[in-house]
Amino acid sequence: MATQPMQTTIRFYWITWTILLVLTVLMLLIDQSPLPRLLFVLVMLVAMLVKASIIAANFMHMRFERIALAWMVVIGLLINGAILFGLIVPDALRAVTSEAW
Amino acid sequence: MSEAAVGVATRWAGGVCPFDAGWKKVMMWVFIITDGLLFAGFLAAYGYARLMSGVWPDQTEVFSLPFIAAMTFVLITSSATMATAVWASETGQTASARRYVTFTLVGGLTFLGMQAYEWTHFIGEGARLASNPWGDPLFAAYFFLLTGFHGSHVLTGLIVLTKTVLGLSTGKTPVANVEMAGLYWHFVDLVWVFIFTFFYLI
Repeated sequence: MATQPMQTTIRFYWITWTILLVLTVLMLLIDQSPLPRLLFVLVMLVAMLVKASIIAANFMHMRFERIALAWMVVIGLLINGAILFGLIVPDALRAVTSEAW
Repeated sequence: MSEAAVGVATRWAGGVCPFDAGWKKVMMWVFIITDGLLFAGFLAAYGYARLMSGVWPDQTEVFSLPFIAAMTFVLITSSATMATAVWASETGQTASARRYVTFTLVGGLTFLGMQAYEWTHFIGEGARLASNPWGDPLFAAYFFLLTGFHGSHVLTGLIVLTKTVLGLSTGKTPVANVEMAGLYWHFVDLVWVFIFTFFYLI
């Protein structure tokens, strides 16, 4: 088992915690604002992915791992997830806009 | 070995320590990928149902957003205490690690308690798996599916954390296992980020 030297300090995690809290509060504030629906959804998705990346990089130490391990996760999860949504969403939209509806 | 194969072997840097990360960690990540795909499937199905539904209830009228925000706060904080616990165990401060895992455990219990309260309240207002007073029957169904599966992961996490605390007390838990428990706990937090955004905010 590889024992890597510790590259972090306790401060690192609590700064990460602060950033995550600030992002969460921002998302809640944006939720109250009268943004157009499409823009609102896009902003929320970006904020969500930023939060998720920060958790994976800092809390889960992805930033200290080999890039190959990061690619394994990114390809396995993000790309599969994107395909899943990409294939399903257009179909749902078609149903919404069809005559039958 | 061809040059390409050597390149792959270098990246893998295999044996019992693939990716230079240790087989336990790599297998934990493989588990996280598969478990993450389970939630991706649920969320995609939820997105489909919601787009297909002409009338999705306004979540802010059904749920108390400040309460959900408090749940999010508890979970993010427990993630930070867990990260601190992993750091403490890796720097040899076992007593401190045990204390921070205990904090995480308390955070997880609080989250689960809040979720139990939310469920009780929601069911009390008439929400059922197949029907609810706010309109589309799938609204409550997906609420129970998403938060239920997430909650069951929190419960599993609490069992893992309890075992970790006990193991740290008796010296039976190696440093690597605290890190694995940490990875799992952060994953539970990560999934909540997605559910919080997709189900409660958007």
